[in-house]
Amino acid sequence: MFARFLQWLYETHFSDFMRESLWAEPIVETIHVLTLTLFLGFAVMLDMRLLGVVMKKRRMSEVLAQFNPWLFGGFAVMIVTGVLLFCGDPISFWTTTFFKVKMIMLVLAGLNVLIFNATIGRKVAQWDTDPKTPGAAKVAAIVSLTLWVLIIAAGRGIAYALPPP
Amino acid sequence: MKTLLLHFCVWCNASWWGVAIRKSTWLFPFVEIFHLLALGVLGGTILILNLKLMRLAFKSETTAELAQEVKPWMIGSLIVMLISGFLLFSTEAVKMYGNWGFQLKMLFLSLAMIYTFTIYGRVARHDDGRFGPALRIAVALLSLLLWSGVGLGGRSLGYITTSASSVDQQ
Repeated sequence: MFARFLQWLYETHFSDFMRESLWAEPIVETIHVLTLTLFLGFAVMLDMRLLGVVMKKRRMSEVLAQFNPWLFGGFAVMIVTGVLLFCGDPISFWTTTFFKVKMIMLVLAGLNVLIFNATIGRKVAQWDTDPKTPGAAKVAAIVSLTLWVLIIAAGRGIAYALPPP
Repeated sequence: MKTLLLHFCVWCNASWWGVAIRKSTWLFPFVEIFHLLALGVLGGTILILNLKLMRLAFKSETTAELAQEVKPWMIGSLIVMLISGFLLFSTEAVKMYGNWGFQLKMLFLSLAMIYTFTIYGRVARHDDGRFGPALRIAVALLSLLLWSGVGLGGRSLGYITTSASSVDQQ
């Protein structure tokens, strides 16, 4: 079923355009990679605050409020550009192991954020100004950092492993 | 000057680290991932500082406080980038000598670093309103432009092919 969808996608005009156009893929990929460079710094700084390493004097709720819009915005751009890139060669991407690994880890990263927001994140007022952040927050930060490193490594791996279109 | 630069590239190419990384199947991607991760952190710190400079975000704290938090990460990631970049460069230094995308990248990198640690720093650290919004925004945009130039130059060099033989003829 899914294979049929990928085949259908591969045969659309848009997929053809992404593959045939000289500049479409480079531009979309450049936006994808450069947005990542903006996004990752924010994510690292937020995780470092969750670990209690930086900005210790600043309230956690404040840091979250300031960083989240940029994190969500950056993430949205990455999803959109990622989907556009995928459309260009759906079957090749889907059959590349690095791609599947990256997708799984992206889902895990999303779950990590959801779980954090549903649990320890909701009680942030309690540990807002604590010099030591709760264990659960630290776990969320370490999981986040680990996943992002692996996601980026897998993303780079895709470029190496992808068969030519 | 040109031959001095070429000699440097040839030397890097033949260095033990250039040879080792070039020969290995996994070392290049391994170093490259550090380059990418450090790039991510560096990009984030540059954006954070520029958003503050343009008064678009982080309004509740002073630039001095923000800079104190962010600067170690900016400098740390820049160092990782320079080291990993040099290692990657050494694997195909002679090809890079003839690659105009790479040359542009190095030009932007030099300008960005000099700019950041001189004019930019001088304007960014003052919160007291001595610099009007127009100047602050211009200084921030120039910073983003120069650093983006490095990134775009880096992206472009993969699309530009040079042969070593064309370099010898220069």
